[in-house]
Amino acid sequence: MNANPYLPVKVKVLEVGKQTENVATLKIESQGLNPAPGQFVEVSIPKVGECPVSISDFGSDFLELTVRKVGRVTGALNALRAGDSLFVRGPYGNGFPLENFDRRHVVMVLGGIGLAPVKGIINRYYLNGGVNRLDLLVGFRTPQEIIFRAELARWREKFNVVVAVEQDDPGWPGRVGLVSDLVKEISVEREAAAVVVGPPLMIKAAAEELSGRGVAKENIWVSLERRMSCGIGKCGHCRINDRYVCLDGPVFNYRQAEGLVD
Amino acid sequence: MGYLFSADAFNSLLAELKTRYKIFAPKIYRGKGRTAGTDLVAYGEAGELAEIAFDRKTAFSPKEIIFPVNQTMFYFTKEEFQENLPPKEDKDMIIFLRACDINGIERMDAILLQNGPYRDVYYEKLRGKARFFLIACDQSWESCFCVSTGSNRTENYSVYVREENGQVFCLVKDRDFEEIFSKYGRPADVEPRFIEENKIRVRLPEEIDQRVFGHKLWEEYAARCSACGRCTVCCPTCTCFTIQDIFYRDNPDCGERRRVWASCLIDGFTDMAAGVSFRAGYGERLRFRAMHKAADFKKRFGLFMCVGCGRCDDACPEYISFSKCLNRLSEIMGEVGQR
Amino acid sequence: MSLNTKAIAKNAYFISKHRGRVTARVRVPGGHLEARHLEIIKEIAERCGNGTVHLTARQAFAIPGIPAEKIPEVRKLLAPYIREAEVGMGVNLPDPEGGFPVPLPPNVLACIGSRDCVFGNIDTAELAQKIERTFYPGSTLLKIGVAGCANDCAKVHMQDVGIIGMVEPLYDPARCIGCEACVKNCRRAASGALRAENYKVARDDLRCLGCGECVLKCPTGAWSRGAKYYRLVIGGRTGRKHPRAARTFLEWAGEEAVIQVIANILAYIEKHRDKTLPKEHLGYIIDRTGYGVFKQEVLAGVNLGPRAKVAKYINFGGYAYDKGVQLT
Ligand SMILES: Cc1cc2nc3c(=O)[nH]c(=O)nc-3n(C[C@H](O)[C@H](O)[C@H](O)COP(=O)(O)OP(=O)(O)OC[C@H]3O[C@@H](n4cnc5c(N)ncnc54)[C@H](O)[C@@H]3O)c2cc1C
Ligand code: SF4
Ligand code: SF4
Ligand code: SF4
Ligand code: SF4
Ligand code: SF4
Ligand code: FES
Repeated sequence: MNANPYLPVKVKVLEVGKQTENVATLKIESQGLNPAPGQFVEVSIPKVGECPVSISDFGSDFLELTVRKVGRVTGALNALRAGDSLFVRGPYGNGFPLENFDRRHVVMVLGGIGLAPVKGIINRYYLNGGVNRLDLLVGFRTPQEIIFRAELARWREKFNVVVAVEQDDPGWPGRVGLVSDLVKEISVEREAAAVVVGPPLMIKAAAEELSGRGVAKENIWVSLERRMSCGIGKCGHCRINDRYVCLDGPVFNYRQAEGLVD
Repeated sequence: MGYLFSADAFNSLLAELKTRYKIFAPKIYRGKGRTAGTDLVAYGEAGELAEIAFDRKTAFSPKEIIFPVNQTMFYFTKEEFQENLPPKEDKDMIIFLRACDINGIERMDAILLQNGPYRDVYYEKLRGKARFFLIACDQSWESCFCVSTGSNRTENYSVYVREENGQVFCLVKDRDFEEIFSKYGRPADVEPRFIEENKIRVRLPEEIDQRVFGHKLWEEYAARCSACGRCTVCCPTCTCFTIQDIFYRDNPDCGERRRVWASCLIDGFTDMAAGVSFRAGYGERLRFRAMHKAADFKKRFGLFMCVGCGRCDDACPEYISFSKCLNRLSEIMGEVGQR
Repeated sequence: MSLNTKAIAKNAYFISKHRGRVTARVRVPGGHLEARHLEIIKEIAERCGNGTVHLTARQAFAIPGIPAEKIPEVRKLLAPYIREAEVGMGVNLPDPEGGFPVPLPPNVLACIGSRDCVFGNIDTAELAQKIERTFYPGSTLLKIGVAGCANDCAKVHMQDVGIIGMVEPLYDPARCIGCEACVKNCRRAASGALRAENYKVARDDLRCLGCGECVLKCPTGAWSRGAKYYRLVIGGRTGRKHPRAARTFLEWAGEEAVIQVIANILAYIEKHRDKTLPKEHLGYIIDRTGYGVFKQEVLAGVNLGPRAKVAKYINFGGYAYDKGVQLT
């Protein structure tokens, strides 16, 4: 491969959906980028910077990114409007091993923006089926930070969807608490598989809880987030032990992930 | 073929080589040391024998020649990306360097050219221009332990160079250089010599695993290390970097994307949104570095990462010695192994 | 007992409170000496003194308990030291056997400087010795101290003239990795002259002390040592009347300028000092003539060098022993 792997392609923003005050979903041209669920792209705004963003959904001619504003690039991405352009390179990382979920009971434990990398997968199961049963346990810090509200409502038709917030709020009718604790309340079928995405502490708590409930560690898949710069195994920021999260992940089997010590 | 040069003949050779190559060698920069009145030994362009510090170890490794501290990857004009790859027509480079450093560059190749499906083109282009002139070590310095790491020898060079009392013995391996060397040098028998013994001997840990993570060694280092990052900056095998975008103050429409060296010892290396970061403690950072050098890299690429140049020992303001750390890791593994 | 106390004092002996005894003072320019010279001090103390040695605040030796009649013997013992440590480094003393000719000016004191200290920007003892060579012997009171860096371990802010070594930090953005070690350290330990900008570092020349801390902290050598310079602080003093710390008169001055300015200061003192007093500190004289006169006379004919800056005015603060303190 002789091409410059750092050179991104220019794509147009097709549509912008505001999720919350700080989160926007951008539908962008796919420009031949052909991703698998769970992969990510490096997104840039020239002179501002570049950062990794999960592909929250995709079709033959579009990619969807869901971005929470935390700094320079994510801030600039949140300010984009339909018709603007941005630059992407990728897709990178391994994505979810969907074959392991076929015809099984799947439990997904997702925290905040961690819903993004699996949103497309859930939609597909919603539209086309493929899993026997799906429990979606989703946590946010506050009710104001809930994203994909419409999707969550729709998914309820077919799946068990429980949304919890960490900080109570007078207007909030739902659950209050840590999403990892919700795992205690569901029944787990034999040969069940699980997906956990969220901040590091939540991942550990939820995966341990799932394992305690009888889901084999080999059947738990976690998507790790680490500081990244290059996205292609060169810069060293994302390395844990002998693994590069950008190359060997971000999705790891929990059996392996629990042995990765930062 | 082997050749012998007088100082004058070698200078004539360098002068001609300079028309075709940029020549980099260890040099002494008077008064440029960190503290007043001391010298800095570092890589720079050289054109004469007298400029080349054959008998000094550089404070920084030659990696900066093919992997610059700051490297502009793209220029931005309005919204467009302009690649800034080192131009083909730039001169090739001759680098005078030692066996440990050539071995170090092989480690850099492993990550920058081989890790994953992509090759780092910026590195590849400069690396492709480099020709190695191996400097014979006639002494091993106080901190060297290349024999222990097996990086005292190399076959990966164009010309072997040994300076002795103002004369220069060369062995040319790369045919491209044969003609020009034969023009200035007298044929001579030259056998490459390598250092066979260092003052420091390191027992490389056969296998290190996470059982060493909880050892009090790291607490001791946590109390001593100041996380300055010098040990990684000077290391011939550290390649971590961060990509940054800037716009020009005087012309905000334009700017550049560049990559800059980074270090797992320095604050911010793992910072993520919402204040999440890893290895806040300096002991953990030293553990991470030590594990990379001694175990993790080897697991992935089959090579012991550290090449025993000893620069990190020389650079550490807190006198934390990496060779000592490796020996202690071997001991600790021995202890936990017996349990 | 008959003693010419004035003559004895002129030979660098103190008249002790113990009747008939004197204390010999031995200058150590820059406070740095050869270890073998300690043998001489030891011998004088043991043979002529009371067997003890005091280290003075000006880094000289004081050998107490010497019976006045032993002064000739002390002179003889001291002669090799004077020959080697003073005449040997170029001080014009025609008669080493005669002891130190005049008690003034006082010993030039110095911190250890760049001979040993990581922070030192200049070889302080060497400069102290150069000053000794140029201005000793002489009779004008001028207390001079030399510090290697702005830490001022030599406390030159309490001297008539304090000299502080500076270095110009040179920045190479191509070597900077933006770690901000220099920025944080300058803010914490120096002057806050550095700030991070666009992942690189900008230096405020007006704030920079020239301490060289950034050079010491930078892991990549992006900061390196430029030329040596000097800060001159003036008018510091202790004493019963009106103690105060010196203030900056010059910064980023060259070495020759420092020597020339000291020469001019000596002349200024002789011209303006209150001759009714046995001696008068520089600060009081500046108080009387005003800083403007001082500046004009002291800078006359001096080549300060291209980077030098001169204080526009000086507002000496100061401190007086508080007469209102109630001792109840
Ligand atoms: C594989 C992967 C997938 C991701 N997917 C998404 C996603 O779908 N949606 C989303 O909103 N975010 C996602 N992130 C996180 C996102 O990359 C960071 O929030 C983003 O890099 C911050 O960049 P910035 O320029 O806005 O922030 P900066 O201005 O650079 O910094 C703001 C804060 O973000 C931290 N930060 C900087 N760079 C990174 C980085 N590369 N990774 C993590 N934190 C960083 C800084 O330390 C600081 O605390 C993902 C991260 C990874 C590694
Ligand atoms: S870790 Fe130290 S001894 Fe080993 S290669 Fe790096 S600088 Fe040299
Ligand atoms: S992770 Fe640390 S030790 Fe390893 S290459 Fe990067 S800076 Fe060097
Ligand atoms: S050089 Fe020494 S003090 Fe600095 S980061 Fe490395 S081990 Fe720590
Ligand atoms: S010399 Fe001292 S004051 Fe000046 S920038 Fe450096 S650290 Fe700051
Ligand atoms: S310490 Fe050196 S490398 Fe770090 S920011 Fe300052 S100049 Fe740059
Ligand atoms: S992000 Fe650079 S190595 Fe993984």
